[in-house]
This record gives sequence, structure tokens and C-alpha cells, in this order.
Amino acid sequence: MPLAQELKPLEIDAYVDAVSLDAAVRALADGAGTPVAGGTDLWIQKDLGKRAYGRRLVNIRRVAALGGIAEEGGRIRIGALATMTEILESPLLLRAAPVLPATADRFASVQIRNAATVGGNIANASPAADMVLPLLCLDAEVELARWHENRIDRRRLPLAAFFAGPGKTRALPGELITAVSFDRPAAGSFGAFQKSGPRPALEIARVALCIAGRREGRRLTSVRIAAGAVAPTPIRCPRTEAEIEGVALDDAAIARALESLGREIAPIDDVRGSAWYRRHLAAAFLEEELGRVARS
Amino acid sequence: MNKVIPKHSFVGTRAVKLDAPDKATGRTRYINDLVLPRMLYAKIRRSERVHARILRVDTAKAKALPGVVAVITAADTPEIAIGVLKDNPPLKRDRVRTIRDEIAAVAAESEAICDEALRLIEVEYEDLPTVFDCTEALQPGAPVIHANRPDNIAMAHQFDHGDVAAAEAASDFVVEGAYNVHYVTHCNLGVSCCVADVDVEGRVTLYSQTQYPFIMKMDIAPSLGVHPGDLRVIQPPVGGAFGSKLDVYPYEPICVLLAQKTRRPVKLVFSREEEFVASPTRQPVEFRIRAGMKRDGTLTFRDVDTLLNNGGYTSWGATTPFVTMRTISSHYRVPHVRYRARAIYTNNPYAGSFRGYGNVQATWAVETHMDKMAEVAGLDPIAFRLKNANEPGDVTPQGARLANIDLKGCLRIAAEKSDFLRKWAAYRAGRAAPGRIKRGIGIAASLHNAGGAKIHKSDGCGTILKLDDYARATVITGGSEIGQGLDTVIAQLVADELGLALRDITVVMNDTATGPWDVGVHASRSTYIAGNSARRAARKARAMILDEAAKQANVGVAQLDLRAGFVVQADNGVAIVAIDKLLRQMHFAGEDAKLVMVTDYYEPPSENEDKNHVGDMSAAYSHAAHVAEIAVDTRTGEIKVETIWSVQDVGRIVNRNGIEGQIEGGIAMGLGYALSEELVIERGRVRNPSFRDYHVMTAPEMPKIDMTFLETGDAEGPAGAKGIAELPTIVIAPAVGNALYNATGVRIDHPPLAAEKVARAIWERAQRSTRAAP
Amino acid sequence: MSLEVEIAFTLNGRAVSAAVPATASALTVLRERFDLAGAKLVCGEGECGACTIIVDGLSRNSCLMPAVDLAGRTVRTVEGLWGERGLDPVQQAFVDTGAVQCGYCTAGMVMQIRHALDRNPAAGEAELRRAIEGNVCRCTGYAKVIEAALAAGQRMRGGGAP
Repeated sequence: MPLAQELKPLEIDAYVDAVSLDAAVRALADGAGTPVAGGTDLWIQKDLGKRAYGRRLVNIRRVAALGGIAEEGGRIRIGALATMTEILESPLLLRAAPVLPATADRFASVQIRNAATVGGNIANASPAADMVLPLLCLDAEVELARWHENRIDRRRLPLAAFFAGPGKTRALPGELITAVSFDRPAAGSFGAFQKSGPRPALEIARVALCIAGRREGRRLTSVRIAAGAVAPTPIRCPRTEAEIEGVALDDAAIARALESLGREIAPIDDVRGSAWYRRHLAAAFLEEELGRVARS
Repeated sequence: MNKVIPKHSFVGTRAVKLDAPDKATGRTRYINDLVLPRMLYAKIRRSERVHARILRVDTAKAKALPGVVAVITAADTPEIAIGVLKDNPPLKRDRVRTIRDEIAAVAAESEAICDEALRLIEVEYEDLPTVFDCTEALQPGAPVIHANRPDNIAMAHQFDHGDVAAAEAASDFVVEGAYNVHYVTHCNLGVSCCVADVDVEGRVTLYSQTQYPFIMKMDIAPSLGVHPGDLRVIQPPVGGAFGSKLDVYPYEPICVLLAQKTRRPVKLVFSREEEFVASPTRQPVEFRIRAGMKRDGTLTFRDVDTLLNNGGYTSWGATTPFVTMRTISSHYRVPHVRYRARAIYTNNPYAGSFRGYGNVQATWAVETHMDKMAEVAGLDPIAFRLKNANEPGDVTPQGARLANIDLKGCLRIAAEKSDFLRKWAAYRAGRAAPGRIKRGIGIAASLHNAGGAKIHKSDGCGTILKLDDYARATVITGGSEIGQGLDTVIAQLVADELGLALRDITVVMNDTATGPWDVGVHASRSTYIAGNSARRAARKARAMILDEAAKQANVGVAQLDLRAGFVVQADNGVAIVAIDKLLRQMHFAGEDAKLVMVTDYYEPPSENEDKNHVGDMSAAYSHAAHVAEIAVDTRTGEIKVETIWSVQDVGRIVNRNGIEGQIEGGIAMGLGYALSEELVIERGRVRNPSFRDYHVMTAPEMPKIDMTFLETGDAEGPAGAKGIAELPTIVIAPAVGNALYNATGVRIDHPPLAAEKVARAIWERAQRSTRAAP
Repeated sequence: MSLEVEIAFTLNGRAVSAAVPATASALTVLRERFDLAGAKLVCGEGECGACTIIVDGLSRNSCLMPAVDLAGRTVRTVEGLWGERGLDPVQQAFVDTGAVQCGYCTAGMVMQIRHALDRNPAAGEAELRRAIEGNVCRCTGYAKVIEAALAAGQRMRGGGAP
């Protein structure tokens, strides 16, 4: 007997419960597989049948090699399967890159944080992906793997170069995100994540902004700014970063930074907010963060 | 030595809701969980166009899909329409007028097969000119939505009292305002759902979420070719209703038609997206208000013109002026009143009833306007409202006899508990101070019917009550339980009369085959009317027991009482005989056998309105005053409501848990209306049919709530109780809007006070003042 | 009908198995194969929490969880909380405080609060409000839900009724 609430007849020919990276990338090799991990974006039932899926469902949830949050040789590596909850509670990240747990705290809900993975948040390539912003600010790289010529072929790509458009990445067919990694920020670094509210978390950002760098009095150096929901992909704002870099922050400098930010973002009107409001909020977030430094 | 039993009352306690243990353990089966043997599933193919002629509907491919049992279109259905104006055929024959219009329906072995079949139905349309705005729909040459209403006016109401023109001439100030209130929707967690089952005689059992099962029989039967007497309505537990199920909507007749055709039980369940698009909304209204006063702030007149966007068909939304009118005419003393309301057909979705029913909209407009008038009069918001407040004994222009009311008490207590005047002055002074976060405080009050509303010939409710040989009582009530707690209130009232424990009472309800007639769950009437009926039935049963006991003990009835399962001496509580023992003696008495089985039908002492809309239509009235204290981020526009002081005249508390829960929940719903909820409809299409983009309040957003209950003790209500559940939703939004003004000097006339709207208004004002600066 | 996959897992303390469609959600399978109707389908996209279950100690939106991923896991649903020793403290607190009205969100709320208290039985009001930020209730305004959660926490810590 069919299940009453079964999905629209979605044609799946095969299901692979991958237990190793080898098995996972082999199952995905021909580009006809869909990897599933947390399911929080993939499994939205009303979207099934509307989105393009491969005919082979590959469950990667149990691939141990894709999990974990660890530091090796001054580089922090977050496995693609690390959940938002794991990031939120990671002692390493709380110490070394607290902007990541701070962002995870603004991410969806407990239940979704328990399921959603960092790999999924990146792979989904939403312009509003929260966790991508601090990773962009950390100059993170995406680690990818695919089955190619009878072996696992790995490569790394700067996260900033990974997104090709809403829902589109530069991953090759059959390529799987295995991890995201970045150099451990130098001592004295700071990072802050801001997102539209008023809900603390359960909201798809109308605008989100992340800023990171090092504070030296009223100056910021190694400035990194990333913004979400203001362009077809999450973006870095290099000209605004340059505007701020090393400058003693006062009202005039902040005004120049805001003006630059306004030129670097290109938000649209949609049901969640107007382009005007997105610009207004992005400026408010940056002004607040820079103002904090200026007043220090 | 007989034991002594002290007097105990369940009324006023924190009674455990009767169905809470089943719900907390997952035992309860809701209507959405219902499965009948051989049951089919059904889905509706809706219009993709907002206004079009239907040229062709081809269901051949859908019918051929394996697992599909029936596909129906208008061609298979009787030519009968439903709705308040009978303008809404369940399946549309030759024309669609809204995006939600029903064109065909499928019954199949699973929902998945239904979905596939819907995709296979081919519909060819020819688009027609569209109109979405009331004013445009009234222009000559506007597209006509229904041929029998060439002016697009679905319904019109008016009320006149006194001489507005003369009152205006005698006024020192006239304040004008325009308030456009928006579309919101119920967001019941349980989506719309029904199950229809037809027997070999053609009799129909409809498992429904309806809030008005008895009148529904008359409303739905004609569209099915069934005698109303052959329709049994059963209401299994529902996941919320809040007024959304006070009318028949097309999906229910469609489901029955499919069951008739397939001769199998059929279940129809909406998707969440469908729930947002195709269930009724709250009625959006455009208000134009002119109101006058004397120099001292005494109101002289109100002149209100409203346009209601009726959408493509007419449900109860179009009749909300009946309630809006009450607020316009009767909330505060207004000697001269003129009110006009027109509901205008457009190609938008249509509105139904929703908790607060026309008063949420009216109170937004009136209480925002009152705040503006107070400022013009140079009075603080409390003093201005007190000056114009109704007093017990007032008879309003519409003939409402306000007896046990205490609006002034509500206002004074709310002001005192919130330290209103001090904060109000301080926050107003703080507007000019530097700082991004501003704080504000605002007040609003509301009047609502608290003893039903006689909109039908009867506003009554019946009860059948019986006691068994073990002194367990079964109360069969016409009233419906939809989560609001009527079941428990009835058990409390009956337990007190019969001297039994709550667990000795079984409340049977939600089935037209067993329950006596009732109007339904609306108008804050259930505790008052179903409660009164149950209490009166219990009193009759009590009298039978006491008569027998008095006869046996050879004492007067007045010397006896019923407590904790015993007949006791009223003066000292000494037990005389166990009630169950007495009941068995009465039962097994040969030819004198008496079973305690009683009935009652309670008709409240209210009146239908006359043709001029005058009449004392509720058996009781009540007020609430709410104060909101907020913090506004003037950059992001985000409003954090920090504290709500709620003061409400509740008559008397029956279930303290229940009444607190109703008020807390009503405040959450009202805050959603004020701040975040808006069904965005553009050119007839719903743009945000999802909880992702339609934000109801969540737990971290909720303020601290400080509740005060005024127990005025209604002379007629059961144990003095009044109906309470709508007022908190009605009164809260303007309190927040008035607080925003207090905080920032920015007045937003059109809710919701969404962050972007607030930010924009504050930004625009700053731009203006920059430009205006020399 | 799409491909079916045989899975075995532990459900409310019992070993179970089932053949489930590869595209079905855990929610659908629990409701329709195991007749556990406590968890509800309300939004289907992780915005409401009415489908919350606990999987390997973590609360999950079962509507977003592939049923095939239940394989080998330990699953608790609201039905599994009522045991031989009576109602779970969270369930009992919901009943006592009046946190149940229509009850459609209750199963998910109970499980989410149970999850929060399992992680921190001393959780305070602000933490508990965040804990249920993904659980929508349209009836109660959350006040009595939070009151129930605080009372349950106290009971789980060994205190009496607050």
C-alpha cells in the first residue's frame, strides 16, 4: 500500500548508504547521484519534483572522514558533515574562531542546527547562506573530492571563488565537498556577525554581514567584510575592506566605508525586503561594528 | 460518625484541561490523522489565473492514471453555490475569479497519485481584465467580477445615529485619519482537512473542522443534493481554528461529492502552501475616519467610511462591519455617529472570520485615532480615554446595554501597574536625545461582546446530562471543543453543581448526532452560553438528587448540599448518603424508578439587531486595556515588545489556566498582527505562502506579560463569567503602534509595524528634517 | 512508487525494521508505518517543529530527515516518553500548567524541551525560549510552555514542584 503522504513520484533508481569517502565519491562519480546529509534544504518535501535530483541517492551522513573539527599545523579544518550544533559547541572554534559559533547561534533553529551541515550550507549556494560569510572572512578554502581515473582526486578552491550564482557552484560533476579549512586566525583577531531580525535566529537573512580583522586601537587591519543576501552569491567587499584597512576610524572614515559598501552590494527587491532596506541594513550593521571600534 | 466534607469549588481553580494528558502523550488522533477503511485521498486542481474564462478542462489523462478513482469538474456537480451571498460554486464552471479557484478534484489511492493526476489535468483559459483595488473596482468601466453585481459592491452596511453635521459644526476640533489594515491569515497548525463518508442510504457523515456544525448542515446540504437531516457532522480534535471554519468553503462539498461518486470514504487535506493561498484571511479594510471633540476633549461625533476588499467571493469577511460598527458607535461615548461600509469584489483571495472579527481592524483604527485626538486636545492618553469612557448603565447608540462593565477600571489599573504616565512623558522627552534605541509606551482599550452575539434567530445551546449508577456524569453539549478549553469549563461548572470531581465528568461533544443544537464557536460565546446551559442542566439534576435525599432524610432541600460525592448537611457538611448509593436506590425502585437524565436549552437574553442595526445583541459586554512598553531600533526598525500589561474584565474566572492561556495566546496572535504577520498579495497572488516568509510570533520574541483580571461578576453569565478569548487579540496592536509614536514621534497608520516599514518611516522623517534645516 | 530500502533501527526502546521508500521522510514513515501520529506534518520545511523527534540524542525535524537515514539509529518519539513509571516530567508539566490547548504543537514541543533539558536540566527561561525558537504554537503564546519547561527542569533536577 502506498504511503498517503509519500512524495510526488520522484524517480530514484538506487540508494547508496556510503560508509567511506571512497564509496561516496564512487557512487557520485557519474554525476547522476545526489548526496544527502542533513536534509534540511534537500528534503523539503514540497520542493521535491521541482528541483533537479540525480537518480541515485547517496547518503553520506556516515562517512567518518567527512566529519570532525580539528586543527593541524596552524590550519583549522571543519569536515563537511560538521553540523551547526557542532560548530556552535566546538571548544576549538570557540577559542580560535569564535565568529563561527556566533554565526551558528543565529542559524535557523536547534533542530536544524542539529542536522544542517557546513558542507550543505556551502553546497546549497544560497545568496543568504549564513555560515558562508564568516568563512569568507577567514579566507577559507573548500576541499573537494571526486572519483576520477580510478582514484580519489582532491582539490582545494578558495570559497570566494566557489559560487557561480544562486544555487550554482563551480564544483565539477560528481565532486563532493569534503571540508572547509582556513588558517588559524592570529591572536587578537576579532570577528562579528550581524543578521536581520527581530528573531534571534529562525529567519532567512534579509541581510547578513560579517566583519573580521585585527584591532589596533581605533584602527582595523587585515579587514575582511562579507555580506549575504545583497548579491546573487554571498560576497566579499574588497574595496570597502581597503577603505578601512589601517585607517583611524572616525565619522568621516566610517562614512567613506559605508559609501563604498553601498557601491559594492547590489541587492534586489523581494518579498523579504526591498533593495532599499537591504542597503539600509547593511550600512547599519557596518556602521555599528565600525562605530564600536571608533569609540574604543 | 459520619465524615464532614468542606465546601469545594472547581470554578476559579487551575483545572487540568480534560484532553491534555492524551495530547501530551501523542494519544489524541486529530482529524488530520484520521484513517477510515478503504479511504481515498483527494486533491483540488486550482486556478493558475486570477481572472479568466475557462475554455476547456480535459481530465482524460488524469482519469487514466493508475490509482485514480474519480475526477470531477463543475460538469459533474449540481449548479449550487455556497457562501454568505451564495456566489461561490464549489467547482467553477466557466470562470475563475481568484488564484485559489477550484476547477477540478481528484480522488485516488494516495496523495502522491492525486498530485500526479492534478498535473495531468489540462485547463485552457482566456484571461480577463483584472482588478485588485477597491477604489479601482468602483470606477465606471472596471472589470465586473460577478454579473449580478455590476457595481462590484458585494455588501453594504450603514449606521446613522444623531446629527453628525450639527455635531461637527459644534466641535472645536475635528481630527481626520486614514488606516488601511492588512491581510493576515489564521495559520492553524492543522491544515484544512475533512473526511466524507456516504452510506448506502446516501446519508453523509462529514468529519470536519467546522466551528458551527449545526448551522453548517443547512449551509452545505443543498450543494450536495442531500437533506440536512441526512448529514451528520463530527468534529474530531483540530489543530486550531480561530474563526477560520465558520463558513462552508469549497473543499468540503468537493470532498463529499467525491465520496458520493466513489462510494468510498474520501479524505481531503491541504498542503501548507495551499493553506496560505486557499484558506480565508482576516478582512482587510480601508478606514477613513473623521471625529470631533470639544476643547476639553469630549467626543462629539464619529464619521467613518470603510472599504472592504471582498475578493472574488463572499464569505463572512464581508459581514465584519456588523462588529466594526459596534466599536465605531459604542467604544467610548460618541453621541453622533455615521458609519458606511462597502465590501468590494476584486480578484483577490477572500476573507472569512478570524478571532476578533472586524473588531481587530476597528480597534486599530479607533484607538490609533484616539491617541491622535488626545494629543490635539492636549491631554495624556489615559485622561483623554477616561474622559470619554463608557460607564455601567450606558446604552450605546446601537442599543447595547452596558451593565457590569468597568472600562475606567481597566484603564486606571493598566496605567497604574505600568507606571504609564511617568514613562510616557519620559520617553516622549527622550525622542530627541541621542541613541539608536528608543523606548516607548502606549495604551489601547477595546469593547467586545462577552455573552455571544445574536446574529441568528437563536444564540442558544442545548445540553443533555445523565448520571449513572456510579455517580459519574455524562454531559452532552452542543458546544464544540476546538482547543479553547470549553470541555474543561463545562466539567468544572457541572462538578460544582453536582458535588463531583472533575474526573467523574465525561463531556461528550463535537457530533451533531449526539449533541443538542448550538450556534457554534464564535463571538466569545461558548463559556457563556454552552456553560450556562450545562450549568442549568446540572442544576436540574442536582434538584432531582436533593429532592430524593430530602424525602429520605425528611428534611428540606435547602438543608442539603452535594459535596465530593455525598449528600451532606448544608450547614455543617456532615455526610448523609453517598450520591452513587442514592442514585442506585432511585434507579432500582421498581415502578418508581428514576434515572437522573435531564436536558436544557439556554437562550441568552440578547436581541437581534433591527433593520437600523439597533439591538442589545449580546448578553454581556466586556472591556480590556493593554499597555505595551517597547524598545525600537531606529536604524533597523526592529521593535522589541518588552512588557505587556493586560487588564481585562473577565466577569469571573472559571479555569485560571484556561483564561491565562487564552489571553497569552491572544496577545501572541495580536502581536503578530501588529508586528510581523502579513499575507503579501500582489495582483491577486500570494507572495509568501510559507512560514519562512509569513512570520508568526516565536517564543524568544514574546514579551513579559503581566495580567490583571477584573472580576466584575456578570449577573447572567455562568458563575459570573464572561466570554474572554477575543479581546486580547483585538486590543494589542494599537497599543504597540501608540508606543512606537511615543518612542519616536513616527506614526504608522497601516499595520503591520514591520521592521522595514518602521525603518523607512524614521529614515524619511530624518531626510525631511535634514532638508528642512537651514 | 519509488525504490524501497530495508532499514532497521531502535524505536522507543524496541528494535524495529521496515521497508521504506527512498524518498520518504522519517515523519511519514513513523506516522504511517509505525502508527505513531504524535509528531505532525505542519510546515514541511523546518519552520515549525511540530514533527520534532529525538535521534541519537539530538532533536530533529523528522519531516526533513530522510527515512533511510533512520537506519541503525536510536529514535524517541512523544509516544515513547510515557513509560511504566508514568508520564515524563515534561509531559506531566505540560498537563499541569495548562501548556496544552489545541495540542497540535505539543508533541514537538515536548520533545524539543526534553532535548533541551537533557542537555541542561538547569536551563533558565531565556535559554528555554531559544530552545523552542523552531517550534511554533498558535494557541498559547508560549508562556505556559516555558512555565512547563521550567517546572519539568526542576523536577528532573530532583526538586519538587516549583
